[in-house]
Amino acid sequence: MSDLEDLKTRLKIAKSKLQNKNLKKADKKGVFLGNAFKLGTELVAAVAVGTIIGFILDNWFGTKPILIIVFFLFGAAAGIVNVFKAAKKMQGDGN
Amino acid sequence: MAANPMQQFEVHRIGPEIKISGIDLSFTNSSLFMTISAVLITALLLFGTREKKLVPSKIQLMSEMLYNFIAKMISDTAGKKAKPYFPFIFSLFIFILFCNMIGMLPYSFTVTSHIIVTLTFAIFIFIGVTILGFVIHGFKYLKIFVPSGVPIVLLPIITIIEIISYLSRPVSLSVRLFANMMAGHTMLKVFGGFVISLGLIGGWLPLSFSVALTGLEILVAFLQAYVFAILTCIYLNDALNLHH
Repeated sequence: MSDLEDLKTRLKIAKSKLQNKNLKKADKKGVFLGNAFKLGTELVAAVAVGTIIGFILDNWFGTKPILIIVFFLFGAAAGIVNVFKAAKKMQGDGN
Repeated sequence: MAANPMQQFEVHRIGPEIKISGIDLSFTNSSLFMTISAVLITALLLFGTREKKLVPSKIQLMSEMLYNFIAKMISDTAGKKAKPYFPFIFSLFIFILFCNMIGMLPYSFTVTSHIIVTLTFAIFIFIGVTILGFVIHGFKYLKIFVPSGVPIVLLPIITIIEIISYLSRPVSLSVRLFANMMAGHTMLKVFGGFVISLGLIGGWLPLSFSVALTGLEILVAFLQAYVFAILTCIYLNDALNLHH
């Protein structure tokens, strides 16, 4: 009888371990999809913000096409920086 | 049913027109669904915590799991210092989640599919976090615009890039939620329209697609609320623990 009891407890432990693993995997999948959504908008938003700032400054100083171009490029750079930072964070989480 | 897939996003007045000094404050379908989700959340949490049993009932389990989920998320991303901000992040997450989920019901209205709603959330968070950063760190908070180890020549350019990157936070935060909700609901309506126009013979294909999309949309509804809350935590973390 004691053998049977032993087997029962061992089965229980193994089952709970398996369940934990499955749960973790499902958790991770959601996080990945969330990250994918995050990166796309991060890139675009910075470009949009940069362009808007350029447009406003152009109207202020009356230098119509110059600042909008410059700030569009700054915005693109900021977008890449954003994505870079987010990716770095993800790498940190993965390890 | 309306054939126009964008008609579901129309805001219209319910009841009398209320105007206070030129600002239209009438009760709309948008406000109705916000109220419904707020009432549902309150009911869930009140009923869930009314009987504090050791072996929880289903509703108690649900509210306790929600609490644990957010508490763990905050401690994972923003550390122990962020504990005082738990109520704010919890309400934010659960409100967005309920708005998204109620939007999945037929004939309902998705509050979060309007950019003005999500942008208001995002700007509120942005201003709050910025003020918090300045209150805690003083003018040292400006250091987040000046990364360490950058050559002097590049410093002005990098600072401008960092400022734009900082300013883009509320935009990306709000656009993500709004675009996901709006695109998903439009797509559901378009495929629903295909079912009707293709009729009994050809309608099965878009119908099956529509079923799959509904599943995806429920996932997106949860995920977007989660992403919104987790990004709020990350921004909060940047303001609380200054390190660059």
